[in-house]
Amino acid sequence: MIQHVMATWRCRHFWLSLVHLDLRNRYRRSVLGIGWSLLHPLAMTVVFCIAFGGILGSQDWRSFAPKLLVGLAIWDFMKSSIIFGCDAFIRGEAYIRQCPLPMSIYSLRIVLGTFIHFLIALALVVVALITLTGTPDALYALPTILPTIAMLSVFCWSIATLAAFAHAYFHDTKHLIEVVSQLLFFLTPIMYPPGLLEAKGLGWIVEINPVAHFIVLIGQPLMEGKIPAPEQYLYAGGLTVALFGLACGAMAWLQKRLIFQL
Amino acid sequence: MAKIELKDVSLTFTLRKAVRLSLKEFLLNGMFMNSRNPLVRVPALVDVDLSVKDGERIGVIGHNGAGKSTLLKMLAGVYPPTHGTRLVEGKICSLFDITLGFEPDATGRENIMYRAYLQGETPRTLRPKQKQIEDFSELGDFLDTPVRYYSAGMAVRLAFSIATAIEPEVLLIDEVLSVGDLSFQNKAGQRMKDMMANASLMVMVSHDLGSIEKLCTKAIWLEHGRVVASGTAKEISAMYKQSVRDEVKQPVAA
Repeated sequence: MIQHVMATWRCRHFWLSLVHLDLRNRYRRSVLGIGWSLLHPLAMTVVFCIAFGGILGSQDWRSFAPKLLVGLAIWDFMKSSIIFGCDAFIRGEAYIRQCPLPMSIYSLRIVLGTFIHFLIALALVVVALITLTGTPDALYALPTILPTIAMLSVFCWSIATLAAFAHAYFHDTKHLIEVVSQLLFFLTPIMYPPGLLEAKGLGWIVEINPVAHFIVLIGQPLMEGKIPAPEQYLYAGGLTVALFGLACGAMAWLQKRLIFQL
Repeated sequence: MAKIELKDVSLTFTLRKAVRLSLKEFLLNGMFMNSRNPLVRVPALVDVDLSVKDGERIGVIGHNGAGKSTLLKMLAGVYPPTHGTRLVEGKICSLFDITLGFEPDATGRENIMYRAYLQGETPRTLRPKQKQIEDFSELGDFLDTPVRYYSAGMAVRLAFSIATAIEPEVLLIDEVLSVGDLSFQNKAGQRMKDMMANASLMVMVSHDLGSIEKLCTKAIWLEHGRVVASGTAKEISAMYKQSVRDEVKQPVAA
């Protein structure tokens, strides 16, 4: 395991340059370029505000918009990590066939890319909060959510790696994940407050949904200045450790055999 | 001290006729129904013993599909042997399908960077070599255009310049010498000689028996995954040529 980490660190220039390449390719030949990474979350928030702010009753957009933005940023980070993660080994096939590099660099490449977009969206949230509340409280709350962000990144790497192996062996994985994630989006309190599900007796969904937990863990300190309950940290942390363990296990078991599957 | 030791190595591929296994197939197999996508075992390498010491240059010859490229990939560490032990010591540089791994949307200069990092260079070690690589490729201003617009020859020149700019201890070459125009071939040939002088040991696959005799000290002849003969480059190359002539003389059974 240590050797694997050392080897990953040694070839860091290679997979970091791939991340750089991915970011440039995403917006190559587009006029706005990286501006889209700023515009996309903003635009989605505006759309959701108009569409659901009105439908779900008169929610003050000043409080609704930042909540929505945080929820969308976290959701987008997790979803794109797992969906793009499916293709991690397939996109890296050319390199896998040539050089015996540690397999984790392919999912690391994907997750670092989605992480950068997440950071951009998070920065937007902080700016929005400072402008809307008129106080720089959100800025002071940032150091408290740094460990949570690290935990979220490990979570996303783990799901990306598991998805990558699953997709390499069963090509149906990506389609299944797309359907399930669509369902999960509606079952996560992003567009509506958690109270809505609890009122319908579906509160247990919010309790087991890791996305909902991360939204609270990151959103609450930023927006309300309160540290969330330790049980929430425990659940999210426990799940992250379990998934990380599974991902490392899959890596150790399958990385030598993967070449035969591509 | 670089060395290669293969003891009793076998490599068997397990394929399916349709490459991707769908969930449906997986479940069907579990239900004991006959699969339309059965497993096929392909023995790519069988009981290969190879020992290469410092200073040796081995040529690998054989018919198409004999397992030469597979042998090189296994030496590089890409395929793990399904049986036997593989020991390769020293920094490995492999020149396989030379344009594999090019990023088409990036410029020539950027690709130099990506390929160099793939081969294990760091920004610090690459900086002094960058100019040398660019000059060797003779691509000039075209280095600033995306690789997708390059001709095949230009791509090969670039790939070759990058690949040969490092100093390996173990050099594995898979039929890359037979590309490019005449002036490039001469230049490349000289570069290969310099590289081989620097490398501790080399294993080379080629169909050009002339270059095997010129560049290698020993040779092995692979047939259907087995080492049929090994000896000096001249001996093995003569044996192989003879066997091909005999094959042509005997008419194929109707």
